[in-house]
Amino acid sequence: MSFGSNLRMFANKASLCCNVNKVTLELFSRCSTVAFLQYDKDPGPSFSNPDVQKLLKSMTRVQLEKVYKKRSVSDNTVEYKFMTSEQLEKQFRKAAERAEKLIQMPPIVKVKEDSQKVISRDPALTNFSNTKFVIADITYGVNSSDRKILVRQTDGTLEYAPLSIRKRINQIYFPHPGRKIRLPRMFEPEHLNRCLANFQYEFILDRACVQFDPYEKEYHEITTKVYNHINESKRFDDLRSTRHFGPMAFYFAWHQIIDDLLYDMIKQDYLKNGAELVALYYQLNGIDYDKSIHEKLETLVQPQSTIQSVLKPKASDDMHEEIKNAIGKSAEDFTADDISFEFIETFVKTKALKKVQLELALQALRETNDEKKKLYHGLKKAHGIS
Amino acid sequence: MSVINFAFLARPNIFRNFLKGNTSRIFSLNTTNYSTEEPPEVQEAPETVTREPSEKEKARDRTKVIPVETSIRYLKSAAYKETYGEYLVWEQYRRNHKGMFPPRKTRKTCIRKGMLSTGNPCPVCRDEYLVLDYRNVDLLKQFISPQSGEVISYSKTGVCQKRHQELLISVERARDFGYLTFDVPFREYDYSEYYNEKNESKK
Repeated sequence: MSFGSNLRMFANKASLCCNVNKVTLELFSRCSTVAFLQYDKDPGPSFSNPDVQKLLKSMTRVQLEKVYKKRSVSDNTVEYKFMTSEQLEKQFRKAAERAEKLIQMPPIVKVKEDSQKVISRDPALTNFSNTKFVIADITYGVNSSDRKILVRQTDGTLEYAPLSIRKRINQIYFPHPGRKIRLPRMFEPEHLNRCLANFQYEFILDRACVQFDPYEKEYHEITTKVYNHINESKRFDDLRSTRHFGPMAFYFAWHQIIDDLLYDMIKQDYLKNGAELVALYYQLNGIDYDKSIHEKLETLVQPQSTIQSVLKPKASDDMHEEIKNAIGKSAEDFTADDISFEFIETFVKTKALKKVQLELALQALRETNDEKKKLYHGLKKAHGIS
Repeated sequence: MSVINFAFLARPNIFRNFLKGNTSRIFSLNTTNYSTEEPPEVQEAPETVTREPSEKEKARDRTKVIPVETSIRYLKSAAYKETYGEYLVWEQYRRNHKGMFPPRKTRKTCIRKGMLSTGNPCPVCRDEYLVLDYRNVDLLKQFISPQSGEVISYSKTGVCQKRHQELLISVERARDFGYLTFDVPFREYDYSEYYNEKNESKK
């Protein structure tokens, strides 16, 4: 059993630690009885599918102001510089690239089950010690998930450490910033419910990301609880333009409860996103649909580049631009909206659970859109552009 | 009125209360004034020990335990508003020290044997209704810097060492329980760690 350079052993206060784990597990099993929807099969492949990733990223609607909102962290320094406009543009481009990283979605993978893998049984070592020994390879540069961590039980069995011990030992020798060895009390059901009642969604999810690994059961339970709460309180804007919006939309689409989110998107006039959500729903549930809609929307609506939204639009004498700015939509937008309308309407008619509500919202939006369209054409005529 | 020290003059609203004769909300008390009132034959006569404590003695007494719920209500009340106005609890407090430079550390404690033992107690000790507890979020928030998210040093707030320790503990507990939110460190995921086995095309 040679583990390279640094080999460390330490006696483990086995009985005590096991008790703590049991208590937390019991707490979780109690909270999990309330509306906990599990992924029935491995969601990993569908989530990592490039098409799905594209849809989820587009739905997130990145706003740089929200991604770079003021954070109270200890190295909160500001640097002031004089720059030429080219340098400034370069900086903006860099900032947009960094924003892409900052809204990286936490991966969705299936829950990993503990499995006992025995290396050797040595009955000669029985009662050698009354505590078990944990042996960890702490060689520099090894990935936390690949690190070798073994347990010598009191009955002489040498086996791979279970996940809970692995996590603890990894945290002791290679701590994750922000992760606690003991579970924060916040994740206990009563305190979690209080946090939810205060709508601290982003905080809970951020902390869950740091505290748990994506394959842990607790992570799945907490995130689904938060998503369900958001679905009830309809505060989707809290997560929009954060890294958690994609996984939330994925969860809703997987479990076929997208109606409230779709209603919110229609109400806020994010029709393209609505169409994307419906497409995601079809894709995850294996329903055939006309995939050409993506291309159509792509050609009509320019992908809202994050850089463009920051750089101020240059003053142009183009009348089209001016009218577009006055109304907020261009001719392409109107045709794109029509396509999305049709796509969503077929979904509402066939698959939706809250048909009446969605139909009414669609109707209302269509009316306002028609008015805008009329205004648009009127303005065009007045300016003498065909 | 010669006993009034400078701390009174620095806080006009408290000074006003004092002039009105309402002495119940005064924070700082003059020790010398208090000791002269005491009769010298206290040790001889046992019945003078059991006499009613004077108004000033009552104001110095800190044996009464105030529940957190009361403190939480107090921080939302009009009485609190009148006392502190728009300022933070510690903002208007000034330490008393000789010379130009204040001692590096604040005093060890303001309360000894259940009584205020100083004429200029720290901002938390002077107001008995400010209870440091992990549930008292409104109070804890006043001691957290909006820039760095850390607890502000006692050299700035002037809180005594004992209360500062209590403050650190209650802030840590409040974060653990989720009463206080903070900016969680960003975690970057390596997608290949989670998806590599199934699809070889790396994301």
